[in-house]
Amino acid sequence: MTDKTIKTDEADQADKADGAGQAAETGGADARPAPPPYSVCPAPGDAAAPTTPGGPATDPTRAEPDATGPARAELLGRLRRTYRARSRRVTLTAVVLGLLLAGLLVASVLLGGLRRIEPGDVLPAALGLRDGVADYTIHRIRVPRALAALLAGALFGLSGALYQRVVRNPLATPDIVGISAGASAGATTVLVLLPALPLGTPLAAVAGAFLLVGAIHALSWRGGVDTYRLVLVGIGLSAVCSAYTNYLFTLAEEHTLAAMMRWTIGSVNGADWAGVTTLAWGLAVCGAGTALLSRRLDCLALGDEFATGLGTPVGLTRTTALLLGAAGAALATSVVGPVGFVSLISGPIAVRLAGPSRAVALAVPVGAVIVLGADVLAQHAPLVSPVPTGVLTALLGAPYFVWLLLRRRQEATP
Amino acid sequence: MSDSSPPVSAPPPPVRTGFSRGTAVSVLAVAALAAVVVASVGLGARDIAPLEIVRILAHPGGSGYETHVLWAERIPRTLLGLAVGAALGGSGMIMQGLTMNPLADPGVLGIEQGASMFVVLGIVCFGITGVRGYFWLALVGAAVTAVLVHLIGLRATTGSSTIGLVLAGVAVAAVMSSLITLLVVRDEAVYAHLRFWSVGQLTGRAGVLSQAVPFMAAGLLLALPLGRTLNLLGLGDDAARGLGVRVERARLAAAAVAVLLCAAATAAVGPVAFVGLVAAHCARLLTGADHRWSLPVSMACGAVLLLAADTAGRLVLDQGEVQVGIMTAAVGTPFFVWLARRRDLVRV
Repeated sequence: MTDKTIKTDEADQADKADGAGQAAETGGADARPAPPPYSVCPAPGDAAAPTTPGGPATDPTRAEPDATGPARAELLGRLRRTYRARSRRVTLTAVVLGLLLAGLLVASVLLGGLRRIEPGDVLPAALGLRDGVADYTIHRIRVPRALAALLAGALFGLSGALYQRVVRNPLATPDIVGISAGASAGATTVLVLLPALPLGTPLAAVAGAFLLVGAIHALSWRGGVDTYRLVLVGIGLSAVCSAYTNYLFTLAEEHTLAAMMRWTIGSVNGADWAGVTTLAWGLAVCGAGTALLSRRLDCLALGDEFATGLGTPVGLTRTTALLLGAAGAALATSVVGPVGFVSLISGPIAVRLAGPSRAVALAVPVGAVIVLGADVLAQHAPLVSPVPTGVLTALLGAPYFVWLLLRRRQEATP
Repeated sequence: MSDSSPPVSAPPPPVRTGFSRGTAVSVLAVAALAAVVVASVGLGARDIAPLEIVRILAHPGGSGYETHVLWAERIPRTLLGLAVGAALGGSGMIMQGLTMNPLADPGVLGIEQGASMFVVLGIVCFGITGVRGYFWLALVGAAVTAVLVHLIGLRATTGSSTIGLVLAGVAVAAVMSSLITLLVVRDEAVYAHLRFWSVGQLTGRAGVLSQAVPFMAAGLLLALPLGRTLNLLGLGDDAARGLGVRVERARLAAAAVAVLLCAAATAAVGPVAFVGLVAAHCARLLTGADHRWSLPVSMACGAVLLLAADTAGRLVLDQGEVQVGIMTAAVGTPFFVWLARRRDLVRV
C-alpha cells in the first residue's frame, strides 16, 4: 500500500491532524526540519481536546527558534503540566469506569432474585464452589453471561476505536461496515452446515470477518480508498451478509428464536464459560497487538506522508490494525452475535470523557460498560425486558450515530 | 445576416427519438412482464404440467387440489407481486428524482422499516387487523420516517448529501427494526406471526390482495402523471419556478405519492429493500433521463424484479422457500455496491 492508500475527506483529515498539520506547516514555512516525532505525537490530542482549543499545539513550534534557556524551560514546564493533567484525567476516567463495571457486574449477578440461594452462598457459587441451584443459577448462567457481556463489549469497543483511528472516519466501524455481520454469517454457516467442527464458530467468524474486510477494501478501491465510499460499500455488504444469515436460518431444519436473536440482532443470553474463554483470549491477543502497534498508530495519525517520513511502515501498520480490529469484532460476534453500534459509539465516548490521547485504550472499558449496562437493562428494566441485548444497544447507539452525522466538526474520533 | 432573414442556419428540430426507443422499451417491458407472470404461475414447489395449468386456467370452476393451488395461491400471489413490485419501482424512481440521489430507495432510506414499525405497533398495542388498518398505519409510519430521514440527511455533515441521506436511513432503519423486535420479542407466537414484517415475503399473503390492491392502484395512478413534474424539478428549483411549477407544492405532492406507494407495498408484504433502487436504475438505463418514460418503465421493472425474485426464492430450496426480501437483498446489494463505487457518487 502506498501513502495514497486512504484518502480521507479533506475536512476530516484537517480535523484529525489539526495540531500536527499546523506544526508541520509552520515548520515548512520557516524552512526548518520537521519537529521531532515525540514532541508532535501528542499534538493532535492537544488540538482536539476541548480544554485546550488549538493553542498549545502550535505555540511550542512557533516559539522554538527563539527559545533560549528560560523560555524553553517554561515551555517544557507547560507541556509537562498539560501532559500530567491529561494523564490524571485518563486515570480518573479509567477508575470511574472500573468502579462502574464492578457495580454492573454485581448487579448483573445479583439482580433477578435469589430466592433459593443464601446471600452467603453467592460468592462461593460464583467461583464454582457450591452445587445445586446456586451453582446452576450463579456459576453456569449469571456469571458467564455477565463476563461475556463485559468482555464482548470490551472487544467491540477496542475494535471500533482501532478502526476509527486507522480509517479516520468515525462511521467506519466494524458494526456499520458489516464486519460483525460477516462474522455472524461465517459463524452461522458453521453452525448450520458443519455443526460438528471443534472451535468452528469463532474460527469461522474470524474467517468471515477477514473475508469481508478484504471484500470491502477490494470493492471500495478506486486508486485509493475514500472512507465514505468504504462506509457505503460496507453498508451494502452488510445487507448481503444479513440476507445470507437469514437464508441460512430458513435452511436450518429447526431454528430456535434464541438462535435467531443471537445471530441477527445479538444477544448475551445463553453465553457459557467456553464463550467467556474465547472472549478472554481474544481480548488478550487484540489488546496486546494494539499495545504493540500504539506508537506506530500515533505516528499514522499525523498523516501518511509524515508517518512514512518518520519511518513507520504505513501499509503494514494499517493492514495489521484493520485485521486485528476485525478479529476482535469477529471473536466478540462469535459469542454474543452482532451487537450493534457498540464499536461505533465507544471510541467517541472515550474521547469525550478523557480526550483523544488514550482513547483507544479507554474505549475498552467504555464498550464493556455499554454492553454490560445494556444487558442488565435488557434483563431487568421495566417495560422493555426481556429483550436481546442488541436491541438496546441499537436504540442507544443509533441516535448517537445520527448525532455523529449532524455535528459540524468531526473532532471526537480516537 | 439581418433579423428578418429566414432562419436557414437554425439547427433542425431535434429528432424525437423518444418514440421509437420508448416503443421498443415498452414492448420489452411487456414481454418481460409476461414471462415472469408465466413463470410465477407455472413454477412452484408443486410440479404442475404446463398443459394441466392451461386446462385449469380455462376451467376455473374445478375442485382439484391443483386447481386450488393455482387459483387460491399462485395467481393471487403473482398479482400481489406485480402490484407490490410496481409500487416499489415507482416509489424508488420518484424518490431518486426528488432527492437527486442515485442510492435512494424506500428500503435503503429506512422508510419501509418505519412503516413496518407502525404496523407492528398497531397490531401489538391496538389489536388492529386487516390490511386496510395496516395501510393507514403504514402510511403514517412511512410519512414520519420520510420526514425524519430527510431532515437528518439535509443536515448531515458527510461531505455529500447522497451519503448523508443513506446513513440517516441506516440509522433510522436500525432504530425502527429494534423497536419492532422490542414490540414482538416477548411473545414467541406473536414473533412467529409477525416475522414477515422484518423480512418481506409474499408467502401466504394471497388473502390480502383484494384489500391491498385499491391502495396500490390509487398510488400508481397518482404517480403516472408525475413524470413531467419530476423532469421540471430536475432542472433545479429556480428553473422549475421560472417554468411555472410551484416547486414546494410539486415536491410535496411527489413525495406524498412516493410515501403512499411505499406504505401500500409495506402494508401488503412487509419491507422489501432494493427493488426500487434496482428498478429505477434499470429504467433509466433503458429509457434515458426522461421521467415520463422512465417512471412507468421503472414500475414495470420493479414488478418483473419482484416476481422473478419471488419465483427464484420458491425454487432455490428443495423444501420451503426463501423469502422475497432475502432474494431482493441478494440481487440488489451487488447493484448498490456497484453504484457506491461510482467515482462521482462520493463527492457530489
